[in-house]
Amino acid sequence: MVEATVHATFDVYRFEPGTDATPRYDRYVLDLPPHTPVLSALLKIRAEIDPSLSLRYSCRSAICGSCAMQINSKSRLACEAPIGPELARDGRIVIEPMRNQPVLRDLVVDQDPFWQNYRKIEPHLILDPRHPMPEGRENPMTPAQVDRFKETPRCIACAACYSACPAVEADPAFPGPMALAKLYRFVVDPRDTARQDRLVRIQTDGLWLCLRCHLCTEACPKDVRPSERIRDLKEMAIAAQGATEPGSRHALAFKENIRDRGPLNEMKLARQSMGLTELVAQLPQGIRIWRKKPELLRAPHAIEGDDEVEKIYDALDDHRSSEDLP
Amino acid sequence: MKLAYYPGCVAQESGKELDMATRWVAKAVGIELVSFPSFSCCGSGFMDEANEVLNIALNARNLAIAEKAGLDLLTICSTCQGMLTLANVRLGDAKVKSRVDGALRPLGIEYRGTTKVKHLLQVLTQDIGLDSIRAKVTRPLDGLKIGAFYGCHLLRPADELGWESAEEPHSFEDLLAALGATPVYYRGRVMCCGFPIQFVKPETASRIAGHQILDAKAHGAEAMATPCPLCHISLDAYQNRAEKAVGEPLDMPVLHLPQVVGLALGASPEELGLPRHLVSTVALTAKVGARA
Repeated sequence: MVEATVHATFDVYRFEPGTDATPRYDRYVLDLPPHTPVLSALLKIRAEIDPSLSLRYSCRSAICGSCAMQINSKSRLACEAPIGPELARDGRIVIEPMRNQPVLRDLVVDQDPFWQNYRKIEPHLILDPRHPMPEGRENPMTPAQVDRFKETPRCIACAACYSACPAVEADPAFPGPMALAKLYRFVVDPRDTARQDRLVRIQTDGLWLCLRCHLCTEACPKDVRPSERIRDLKEMAIAAQGATEPGSRHALAFKENIRDRGPLNEMKLARQSMGLTELVAQLPQGIRIWRKKPELLRAPHAIEGDDEVEKIYDALDDHRSSEDLP
Repeated sequence: MKLAYYPGCVAQESGKELDMATRWVAKAVGIELVSFPSFSCCGSGFMDEANEVLNIALNARNLAIAEKAGLDLLTICSTCQGMLTLANVRLGDAKVKSRVDGALRPLGIEYRGTTKVKHLLQVLTQDIGLDSIRAKVTRPLDGLKIGAFYGCHLLRPADELGWESAEEPHSFEDLLAALGATPVYYRGRVMCCGFPIQFVKPETASRIAGHQILDAKAHGAEAMATPCPLCHISLDAYQNRAEKAVGEPLDMPVLHLPQVVGLALGASPEELGLPRHLVSTVALTAKVGARA
């Protein structure tokens, strides 16, 4: 059977820092079956048209995590992205290196910052030397305990999440979704003895810079759902240490604020979340907004049934993290 | 059609213009808004960072109020939409459901899980329909280049919110085109506005907002429009900070979704609360012949 092919146009990012003044896009046009993975197309381009094209890949089976790149602006694995849907939607395929990591050449990026953030969370079990494992047996876990981190071991460290993350893009203090998802895995591991210390440290090491935009969860080829694990970490960090940072203070203040009346009181929230110095610093902006939006200073009416809201708090607000409940 | 109206906190306070515009548009397209003074805050993605189960329980109470009235719920905020929909999803977990039920039962509240949560954007594009809206346009936004800005919680996580592609959404652009405007496609339209960390690190939050506005501008947008009042705060009320963060003048009017619709359907800028914006919309509305 002769397979139908499609006319596929690739615009591929080319750049060699130090040699090229600016990046350029080289166009390659090939006839390929629509199910062809982007990676196979790029390897064909390199083998048959332009041997100078640089890219990183290895297993071609979505296991090694080497071939993540931007395909029509989305960070994904080239080995598992067929060209058909991309062409059907955009008419061409724009191939670019991952974002948020410096380009070494063409599609190859410098992953050092990504790995440094990973190393910083100490991605290994920290055991208590005073309680060594019993001779001759391993450190057992129950299936329910293992279940708590069933998603994170699927991570193949492809850095698609790191590339998609707007917090990483805007602030080097944010460790990135993958490092935090990995941290979660050790925090909920019952064999790890550094849980408290890990949760305390991460509060000042960028945890609260997560925007919970879920772009990482969307980009992840292995459904690790980093944004949801980061939310879990935030709740566990508050339960472990209370509100020590602007982020945790804001989350707690928000919760307390709703308890009062039901709706949010914007002005009160600002007072609860910020210290006096910050509040004073925010004053000119507040006045600017208040002049157009005078409701800012008005307390909202209590809702009907605010006693119900209060009783729900009484039943469920026991200062334990939802993650740790039996 | 008749819907339980969940305006959310911001539209009842500093973002009141969103509520004004929603009521105007609802009347114009034939949506009956039923108000419930008993709705509490959705948690806004902040409360669940402090206590997720509590947040789900409060939203189960909100959803139960609409269920009891036999109505689906209308939201006008991407974040409310996300939080209330996710409450429905998480209640599918037996452990969560039993804790939530345990807190609600003594209050005589039962939530059976039947309330559908719909954002105004969905209702306009799917239930009312673009043809019907197109037929009501009296002041076409001819050629006005508008960049839609969706807001994260309307789109993601797509497998749980499940109504439109998170990577390639098009409902807002389709709506803009039906109103006569020229939709502008840019990467930032599905990105974050920076709002969630305005209290954590304002400079970073403002840089993120600035990136998205610059991106819209680079693609030719004369205005942006958003279905989320929190994005609106970040993009409009804090635009001066975004300018400082990216070191460039932005001067980008940002409209709420129902304001764009109302403008095309003949509402005056006052009826839509446009004078309440921090970035002036006067030049923009003059372009389509809407004057105060």
